[in-house]
Amino acid sequence: MERAVPHAVPLGQVASCSLSPQMEVFQALQRLHMTIFSQSVSPCGKFLAAGNNYGQIAIFSLSAALSSEAKEESKNPVVTFQAHDGPVYSMVSTDRHLLSAGDGEVKAWLWAEILKKGCKELWRRQPPYRTSLEVPEINALLLVPKENSLILAGGDCQLHTMDLETGAFTRALRGHTDYIHCLALRERSPEVLSGGEDGAVRLWDLRTAKEVQTIEVYKHEECSRPHNGRWIGCLATDSDWMVCGGGPALTLWHLRSSTPTTIFPMRAPQKHVTFYQDLILSAGQGRCVNQWQLSGELKAQVPGSSPGLLSLSLNQQPAAPECKVLTAAGNSCRVDVFTNLGYRAFSLSF
Amino acid sequence: MGAVTDDEVIRKRLLIDGDGAGDDRRINLLVKSFIKWCNSGSQEEGYSQYQRMLSTLSQCEFSMGKTLLVYDMNLREMENYEKIYKEIECSIAGAHEKIAECKKQILQAKRIRKNRQEYDALAKVIQHHPDRHETLKELESLGKELEHLSHIKESVEDKLELRRKQFHVLLSTIHELQQTLENDEKLSEVEETQESTMETEPKP
Repeated sequence: MERAVPHAVPLGQVASCSLSPQMEVFQALQRLHMTIFSQSVSPCGKFLAAGNNYGQIAIFSLSAALSSEAKEESKNPVVTFQAHDGPVYSMVSTDRHLLSAGDGEVKAWLWAEILKKGCKELWRRQPPYRTSLEVPEINALLLVPKENSLILAGGDCQLHTMDLETGAFTRALRGHTDYIHCLALRERSPEVLSGGEDGAVRLWDLRTAKEVQTIEVYKHEECSRPHNGRWIGCLATDSDWMVCGGGPALTLWHLRSSTPTTIFPMRAPQKHVTFYQDLILSAGQGRCVNQWQLSGELKAQVPGSSPGLLSLSLNQQPAAPECKVLTAAGNSCRVDVFTNLGYRAFSLSF
Repeated sequence: MGAVTDDEVIRKRLLIDGDGAGDDRRINLLVKSFIKWCNSGSQEEGYSQYQRMLSTLSQCEFSMGKTLLVYDMNLREMENYEKIYKEIECSIAGAHEKIAECKKQILQAKRIRKNRQEYDALAKVIQHHPDRHETLKELESLGKELEHLSHIKESVEDKLELRRKQFHVLLSTIHELQQTLENDEKLSEVEETQESTMETEPKP
């Protein structure tokens, strides 16, 4: 993924009379060119964090925006702060922290403190890279709750495991020949799936730290699309099944037999995919969030407000059932909120 | 204080106004006519006035009876509405419960559907592969062919070995014969030279 040049940005909601027209133009231009790469829901379920290509993280209050007395201001962030120097490619939440990663470092923020202005990061760590000259970006973060560890993967083609208690980097899993786009966790046997630019989905066993299975998606002619490339942009897994997409067509694989079972007829490469109840939700190049049934039929295509979507987030936190929404964000400064999978309710905006 | 109670009185009078204009006036007229009747002199006038007063009185009693009935009716309507309200509340609570039940059922049904679709997907893939019995039969027949062919190969090899041995025997006997013939020739040559030397020696 490319890096954006970091800007010093005036943040937050400043009354328009105190902004010079130049600053207004600047802010408007910023919003025009903004891309939101990652989202994460707070453990209480009431807040949504979104990270963009300028390195800023904005916290939106979902409970305020969904309540019956929501006004226009509730669609703006509660707080925005500069988190990283480069784009924030990936974020995850533990039950107390927000972990964000982008330009080679992973930083942790306390959810309890994040709403106060001038929030400082709790800690920042950098995985041990082989070359110290170039710092590769971190494209994906994955939490492994059983071991209380975090897995980082990105530009240096390795998966690094970091123990969340001690902060020490325990393993480096090597096998990919090109940078890694996405990670997924297979709960039952603690295995991690990683998909990368080299077109292969590799399964790693966390206990033995070895590569257990490799699926080279582009080699299967049913799903490969050479004109798009072989990169795997998105991965999701449901223990026995895996769905992956990107350059090759979006396909459902049965992991035990490594066979592609269903190919979803979507021409545009998909950048994010997830299992939800009996559906598969996917989004990518194109305005819509697509809902597929496991048999390959397209159940619905719901348009969002961004020309392309990069991340989907389902708020299923048990503590806030009234904020159970799907949020989608991508190539714009807006985060679309879907209260019902059938239509877009409204959009939050940076 | 007087002003307040006056206001109250005026308000109440205005409230009851709808029917009240008639009733109020009637009661005032009744009082006035009673006073007039008490002060009147002649017998027939007094009688007719008395009759008139009785009719006004019965009219007043009639309207009062009507108002009482309306009041009763309102009370009973209120009770009825209370009852309906409670029933509706119960049915709302029941509907909420049913909704929760149905939501659970939907989740269950979705899970079942997902399992069925997964099964279908796997079944499709499996169908692409040929039937197990057929492949087993093919494997058996192929195995038998293989055996047969290997038997043939063995027998051919045996024959080859035998021929090779026979040829070997033949060639070795030929060689031996050749050797003996050469030996014989050599011997005869040697004998000849011996004879020639023996001839040349005794001459001188």
